[in-house]
Amino acid sequence: MKGQEWYQADDVAAEYDDKRFSQGGQLIDRREKEAVLEAIMPVEDRNVLEIACGTGRFTVMLAERGADVVGLDISAAMLQQGRKKAKAANVAGTLEFLRGDAGRLPFPDDHFDTVVAMRFFHLADDPEAFLREMRRVSRDQIVFDTFNRFSARSVYNWALPMGSRLYSKSEVSVLLAKTDLTLVDVEDDFLAPYGLYRSIPNGLANAIRSVDETVGGRPLTDHLASVSYWNTRVR
Amino acid sequence: MKESLLEILCCPLDKHDLELEDAEYEDDEVVGGTLVCTECGERYPIEDGIPNLLPPDMREESPA
Repeated sequence: MKGQEWYQADDVAAEYDDKRFSQGGQLIDRREKEAVLEAIMPVEDRNVLEIACGTGRFTVMLAERGADVVGLDISAAMLQQGRKKAKAANVAGTLEFLRGDAGRLPFPDDHFDTVVAMRFFHLADDPEAFLREMRRVSRDQIVFDTFNRFSARSVYNWALPMGSRLYSKSEVSVLLAKTDLTLVDVEDDFLAPYGLYRSIPNGLANAIRSVDETVGGRPLTDHLASVSYWNTRVR
Repeated sequence: MKESLLEILCCPLDKHDLELEDAEYEDDEVVGGTLVCTECGERYPIEDGIPNLLPPDMREESPA
């Protein structure tokens, strides 16, 4: 099954959160949510768009914190999971899901305060065009992550159903310059690849994670970091 | 979707306003109907409460 079909299948969507974010995956989930919150809080009364929102992990979290959020994804099955989750959650702001193309967003220029795209750019065939389109609808901030080249992640790329595009820091810097974005902050994380965390129980994941944190903080190993969280401002 | 979402949605092709036709409601939510571009006339369905704003060229190849 091709990546896009895999992602949009009903049974994949139904099990997506359980498979991806249970066991060691909880660590990744927590860390990613921290990274997003750190970059964009406070979100109260801010208009936020999440690109490739999937089952709404971030969308729901941000709405609970008072943001007015729109989650966009290509998959109807993933969005229906998000909708269920949203109904069960205690949402302070507003929350809407819609199906759309990240390259041709159905919003006017400068509508959102913040645009978030997590786990998106490793799937993007034309990252500059996507970033430019996100920039068009944002008046203030864009937050996204990339999987890095030269990281441990590349050894298990074959195992990902969708394949992955990896980026070097300088490639992302060029992208930001081309799309008139200013870098506010970049954080690196996870020396060991996600796949490893996902497949192991929490106790062991925590142990490996603490090794990651110890080793990962040193300058020599920075280039091994597997994920970078980019916080940028519209110029 | 809430009807208020219409205030920010626009046609993904030409960014013109959309009009809601044949709306079906459940409580205060629009669960069915069609969004029609006031400029180019392109039609976007609302499916189980979620508007499908995929441009027509992407709609066919993506299973619902």
